[in-house]
Amino acid sequence: MLEVNDLVAGYGKVKVLHGLSLHVEEGRLVTLIGSNGAGKTTTLRAISGMIVPESGTVRLGGEDLTGQPSFKITKKGLAHSPEGRRVFPTQSVKDNLLLGAFPRLTGARERGDVEGDLDRMFTLFPRLAERRAQLAGTLSGGEQQMLAMARALMLNPRVLLLDEPSMGLAPRLVAEVFATIARLKEQKITMLLVEQFAAAALEVADFGYVLENGRVAAKGPAEALRNDAAVRAAYLGHAH
Amino acid sequence: MNVLSQLIVSGIAVGMIYGVIAFSYQLTFATSKTLNFGQGEALMLGALVGLTTINFLIGQALGTLWAYLLMLPIVFAFGLAQGAVVEWLGVRQAVKAKSEAGWIMATIALGIIFRNLAENIWGRDALRFPSPLPEAALTIGPVRIQPMEIAIVIGALAIMLAVEIFNRRSIFGKAVVATANDRDAAGLMGIDTRRVITFSYALSSMTAAFAGVLIAPVTLTGATMGAVLGLKAFAVAIIGGLSSGMGVIVGGLILGITETLTGYYISTGYKDVPGLVLLLLVLSLKPSGLFGRATIKKV
Repeated sequence: MLEVNDLVAGYGKVKVLHGLSLHVEEGRLVTLIGSNGAGKTTTLRAISGMIVPESGTVRLGGEDLTGQPSFKITKKGLAHSPEGRRVFPTQSVKDNLLLGAFPRLTGARERGDVEGDLDRMFTLFPRLAERRAQLAGTLSGGEQQMLAMARALMLNPRVLLLDEPSMGLAPRLVAEVFATIARLKEQKITMLLVEQFAAAALEVADFGYVLENGRVAAKGPAEALRNDAAVRAAYLGHAH
Repeated sequence: MNVLSQLIVSGIAVGMIYGVIAFSYQLTFATSKTLNFGQGEALMLGALVGLTTINFLIGQALGTLWAYLLMLPIVFAFGLAQGAVVEWLGVRQAVKAKSEAGWIMATIALGIIFRNLAENIWGRDALRFPSPLPEAALTIGPVRIQPMEIAIVIGALAIMLAVEIFNRRSIFGKAVVATANDRDAAGLMGIDTRRVITFSYALSSMTAAFAGVLIAPVTLTGATMGAVLGLKAFAVAIIGGLSSGMGVIVGGLILGITETLTGYYISTGYKDVPGLVLLLLVLSLKPSGLFGRATIKKV
């Protein structure tokens, strides 16, 4: 569904990715793990058009999207829940969700059942239902994370990119976020998940990529990576 | 006491005009963090296009009120187009080139060009704009007020309310607010934020053009009418805060009323001073404006 080949990207003269390739098959949950600065967030930003890759290709369902602005890529069905949540603080929870469905509400994507999807989000995230009229800026960090994920899902995406959904959350909420991701996986939503909690990410994912210095250092089925001695030593904290 | 209330009432109408123009500055600042320094010229062009249109319609044997109402959509359409042109020519190129100050010079330059153009089309003399409402003042209690002054207050509030309702209720309005909140995140929602910015320039000039035809019947209309109004409304936008809708109304009223008071109690020669003193005070004491939220520019 999502194919990235030889991606080179960065910020100005600073290159972060040096020829990165990855695959996300339909209905699968793939995770990108790696230390800070390995290029995980940059990979997602280059896929969704927030930055323009220098070279390489990004394909969604076979269609080349490389270098297109993010609003066009979103219209093709790629949703990106960005690092830092980035909810719209002066808008209500419900309006944030409706904005997630913007291409569906304006005819750029098939409309489907927007109202029904709103209800589904409120079922999936009951806390958001209680706060639907509240301004997003007044939500707690955990609630904002739920909102950012729900907002991305409102696109009815073909692929969902999730960047550090557990960042800055209390341990109890981290568990809740991973439980939600597991539920989305059961619904066969195609996902690319970037996480610092590598162990938890490999627990829930089907397949994993380990990034080092902007390149893929290791890849394989999540279970195999979990049992790989080098990955365990470097990322899972089970070395001793 | 009667004089004082009369002065306050007279200050309200002009204050509301300042408020509306300040509001139009806010519209582009919200989405793009840029302003049209030729906003006064957008107002002036709106008034002059309105003048030509209303005179043509009156020539078609229409009553002044009907001619005025029929003129409004034409002035709106003109304002929208003029604002889009300013964004295309003045702002987009400068912002694309990542020039921090390029848009300032470009919008000032466009403003001067528009003023020259207007001088060549409509001449340098001030013209009289037909009033759609009776010009005889009404006496309400101790104060006398022109019907057009009431229309100014209603019209100013109506346009601000209309924009607010559009922003809150329609999905396109929500997209404008989202762009103002966080441009990158808005792009991830599938919103073409460049188009949103063009739209906010169009809407901003339309609002200024409307302010032009609101004030035209109670003042003189001409190529130079916009310069001072644009500058004073800019002061109001700074005083009220560039992000507060309430702020520009209150700021506009404060400026309008202090001006009429100074004009009467001190001297009309010093009419423009208190507003500018207020501007300097606000800038030194509360730079985000009386009602603005402090924002820290992250480097």
